Amino acid sequence: MMKKELVSRRRLLKTAVRAGGLALAPQIIPASALGRAAAAPPSDRVTLAGLGIGGRGTRVLQSFLSEPDVRFLAICDVRNERREAIKSMADQKYGNRDCAMYSDQFELLARKDIDAVLIATGDRWHAPLSILTAKSGKDVYCEKPCSMTIAESRALADAFQRLARIYQAGTQRRNGPNFARARELARTGKLGKLQTLHAEAGPGDRWPPATSHEWLPAEPEPPKQVVDWDRWLGPSPWRPYNSQYVQGRWRGYFDFHGGGILEWGSHTVDLCQWVGDVDETAPVEFEPQGMGGDTPYSIYCRYANGLRLVMRDKGFLGLGSCHIRFEGDAGWVETADSGKIEVSENLRAEPLDIAPDDARQATSNHVRDFVDCVKSRKQPRSNALAACQAHIACHAAYIAFQLGRKLTFDPATDAFVGDSEANRMRSRAMREPWRL
Amino acid sequence: MMPQHVDEKYGSAAQIMTLPPAKLIAILKDPSASVYAKAKACQRLAVTGDRTAVPALAALLSDRQLSHYARFGLEPIPDPAVDEALRAALGKAKGELLVGVINSIGHRKDAKALHALARFLHDADSEVAKAADAALARMRPPL
Repeated sequence: MMKKELVSRRRLLKTAVRAGGLALAPQIIPASALGRAAAAPPSDRVTLAGLGIGGRGTRVLQSFLSEPDVRFLAICDVRNERREAIKSMADQKYGNRDCAMYSDQFELLARKDIDAVLIATGDRWHAPLSILTAKSGKDVYCEKPCSMTIAESRALADAFQRLARIYQAGTQRRNGPNFARARELARTGKLGKLQTLHAEAGPGDRWPPATSHEWLPAEPEPPKQVVDWDRWLGPSPWRPYNSQYVQGRWRGYFDFHGGGILEWGSHTVDLCQWVGDVDETAPVEFEPQGMGGDTPYSIYCRYANGLRLVMRDKGFLGLGSCHIRFEGDAGWVETADSGKIEVSENLRAEPLDIAPDDARQATSNHVRDFVDCVKSRKQPRSNALAACQAHIACHAAYIAFQLGRKLTFDPATDAFVGDSEANRMRSRAMREPWRL
Repeated sequence: MMPQHVDEKYGSAAQIMTLPPAKLIAILKDPSASVYAKAKACQRLAVTGDRTAVPALAALLSDRQLSHYARFGLEPIPDPAVDEALRAALGKAKGELLVGVINSIGHRKDAKALHALARFLHDADSEVAKAADAALARMRPPL
C-alpha cells in the first residue's frame, strides 16, 4: 500500500505512455503541454502548489513559473488577499483561470495531482508544514529559516529521510556563482589548510540577535475568511490579533522568529558548513561575546576537528549582505551578495570575476536544482540534513547568546553537555493540536 | 516604537521575565493577574522552573486560554513531577486540550504513560486517537 502511494503522478504518466495508454492524449493534453511553446509534456512536468506566499515567496514563485517544466496548480493561504494575488499571478502566466485556492492546508495536501509544494509562510510554520507535506507524499521547497528550534531541525531531517521525499531549503546562496567560486577556492586547497570560517549574522541594527516576548495591543479579529488568525498562529502560542503581524512585522518576536543569528546564519552558517565539509555535524563549542544592537557581537565556535567558525555581525569588507569569509593557512577569500570576491594577495591571479547578472541568478539556479532533483530523486544542494545541521548550529549559538556563557555541544545527541538550562531551550511545546 | 501590551500589576513581558521562579509561580496563582502576565510567567518557567512550579502550571492544563502556555512551561522541566501531572491531566482535559497533553507526554517519552495512552487509541475523538498513536510511536524503540 505504502509503495503504491509513493508512485508519483509523473511516473504513472510515463508508464501509461509506455503502455500505449495515452491514446486519449490529444483530447486531454493541451498543445503547449506536448512540447510546443517551450513547455514540457506532463510526464516530464513537476506540478507545484504554494503554501503561504508573501513577498519573498512571490519572488521564488516567479522563478518556478519561469521553468518550462513546472506547472503551478494551487495556492493555500490563511489570508484571502494573498490567495487572490497568487492566483492572479499564476492565471496571468498561463492565460486561464485554473489556479485553485484553499485556506486549509489539509485540503491542498490531499490532492494527488501535486508533486511538490513551495512553503513560504512565516518561520513558525516551516518545519511542521514541511513534515505534513512530506507525509502527504510531496516534495518540498521551503523558505528559510527552516525551523524554530533544535528539536524541529532534527525532526525535519529525520522525516525527509524516513519518507524519502526531496527537500530543498531556501538557502539559495549554495547555488550562487560567487559563493560557489569561494567554496571552490577553499575546497581545492588554494587557501591551504582551512582554519577559520566567518559567517555574517544579522546586522545588529537590522536583525538584532535578541527576540522580544512582548505582545502588540489587541485589535478586532477580522472575519476568518479574510484572515484565519488561529491558523496563522498555528503551532505558536496564542496572542491577541494585531494586523502588524499579518502584514509581515512578525520578525523579532520570540514566538515567531529565531532572531538575527538565525535570520542570516541560516544562509551564511549554512555556506560555512558546506565549505568546511561539516554538513553532517555542528560545532562542539559556542562562546558568545558582545550584546548586539548598536554594539558588535560574535559567537566563537569550534568543530570537533579543530576548524573554527565565527558568527559575527560586523567587520566584513562591505561587499553586500550575507558575507562569508574563509581563512586558511595560505590565503583567504571573502564574498557577499554583490557578487564581488575579495582574496588575499597571493590569490589575485585566480579567475574571480562573476558577472553581476550571474550573481543574481542564485534563486533561479536553486529552483532549477530542486526541480531537477524532484525528477532524478537525487539530493539537492540545500537538502534536509544539511539545512538541519546548519540550523542546529544557529539555534545553539542563539541559546549561548541568550545565556551569555560558553556552551559545549554534542552533535551526536543534539544536547548541550552539563547545562540543563541550555538543554531546556532546545524545543518548545506546540499549541494544540499541532505536533511534529 | 509600537505600543506594547502590559499587565497593570506586573508590567511588560521584559519585566515579568526577569522575576525569580517563586514570583512567577505567585503570578500563576493570582486570580487578578491577566492572561498576558500568566502566559509570560509560564514561558519563563520553561527555563527556570523546577518541581515547585509544577502544581501551579498543571492547574492551568484545563484552562482553554492558558493550557498551551502551561505545557510550554512544563515540557522542558527535568523532573518526574511533570510526568505525573501530565498523566493526571489525561483524565481531566477534553478535546484539543487533551490532544495537547498527549502531545506533551509523547514529547517527554514518559514510559509510565504507555498503558494510559493506549486506551486513547480508539477514542471516539479521532484527533485524540491520532495524538495517542503519534505519542506511542515516539516512545517505541526504532526498528
